[in-house]
Amino acid sequence: MSTLGRILIVEDDPNDVELTLTALGEYNLANEVVITRDGQQALDYLFCRGEFHARPNDNPAVMLLDLKLPRVDGLEVLQQVKADARLRIIPVVVLTSSHEEKDKMRSYDFGVNAYVVKPVNFHEFVNAVKELGVFWAVINEPPPGSVKKPT
Amino acid sequence: MRVRKDGSRFLANVVIDALKDDGGQLIGFAKITRDVSERVQAARELERLNRELQKRATELEASNKELESFAYSVSHDLRAPLRHVAGYSELLQKQASSSLDDKSRRYVQTILESAKRMGDLIDDLLAFSRLGRAEVKMRAVNLQQVVQEVIAEVSRDTGDRDIAWKIGALPACHGDSSMLKLVVVNLVSNAVKFTRIRTRAAIEIGCADKNNDELEVFVRDNGAGFDMQYANKLFGVFQRLHLAEQFEGTGIGLATVQRIIHRHGGQVRAEGAVDQGATFYFSLPKAHELAERTASTS
Repeated sequence: MSTLGRILIVEDDPNDVELTLTALGEYNLANEVVITRDGQQALDYLFCRGEFHARPNDNPAVMLLDLKLPRVDGLEVLQQVKADARLRIIPVVVLTSSHEEKDKMRSYDFGVNAYVVKPVNFHEFVNAVKELGVFWAVINEPPPGSVKKPT
Repeated sequence: MRVRKDGSRFLANVVIDALKDDGGQLIGFAKITRDVSERVQAARELERLNRELQKRATELEASNKELESFAYSVSHDLRAPLRHVAGYSELLQKQASSSLDDKSRRYVQTILESAKRMGDLIDDLLAFSRLGRAEVKMRAVNLQQVVQEVIAEVSRDTGDRDIAWKIGALPACHGDSSMLKLVVVNLVSNAVKFTRIRTRAAIEIGCADKNNDELEVFVRDNGAGFDMQYANKLFGVFQRLHLAEQFEGTGIGLATVQRIIHRHGGQVRAEGAVDQGATFYFSLPKAHELAERTASTS
């Protein structure tokens, strides 16, 4: 494992953020992790505008996206990302509590790369996050243009 | 509109017929006036009742939908805080276990177990609520095959238990195959669970004609049974007749069975006696027409 991709987490719930980071930390996935707390902030980050106007214009290796978010919801973020020529190549994993068929259908319609329901059980949650982190940020070769950090 | 002798008006049906003699000569008219007030009244009443019924049906459908979405959002929104209770308790257990005394460690353990139990209940409720909204895809279903598959799956977890299976002839029926499989899974795994107390379990699955259009399938076991005075409680959501220490489970299985069968237009019932086993029945529409059609095309 020579390189680790950056993970963008879009999650409004501080507990879920902490548990996700703990899960990633437990398996020493020392990826660079960026956390945005609502859909608007996530879009600002991705489009390098607002508070993120000065950041280098590169894509994360993967985005973990919650659906129920303040201001701009996850589906809207997904739709905008997949409609943008530069951003559409970012692998997007929806990580949500929703089992709803229509949420799944709309996510796939918009071109989501994976759809994961957050397990209630902490072990399963840790495993799910770990596997997502390992697969998308380590095993998977991200699209060219995502900056890889040498370890 | 005609006028009665007492001066009141009434709705009339009037027939006027020409009267002719044998030679066809017109000799007069016969007039029959019928008071149809009651008939008209009855027709109006029927119409009113129909409208009322239609309104009720619409209201019922709306409140049903509301209830479904309520159940869903409750289950859905409860999951997040529960995940946090479970997650943080586990982190606490991991982090502070060595500095906690036995009592405190047991407290943390209980929090974890309760969170898990609540998670199971929520997941069951969620699945149950989804079941109410899922479309029933009707087609011919080979019950025999469904039962065989289920027994094969369930048997994987029965270890070296001695179970005598007796499977009667099961005809094709008409229904949603994955939902009906869920019915069989629930009934068969219940039978397996409640016969755990027997050195030799006997489970029988069979079918009898209920009437011309319906068949009735039964699953009979020689397990713990139940008191018939609680028979009406058996199919309720989260209703249990045994302690969790005796037999595990959330109490959603038979409620699921009932909901699926009702959605197929069938009925469920149960017979049993304490310590003398139980028999669960469900009825379904027969599939003769469908089966014949399938047979002729294959």
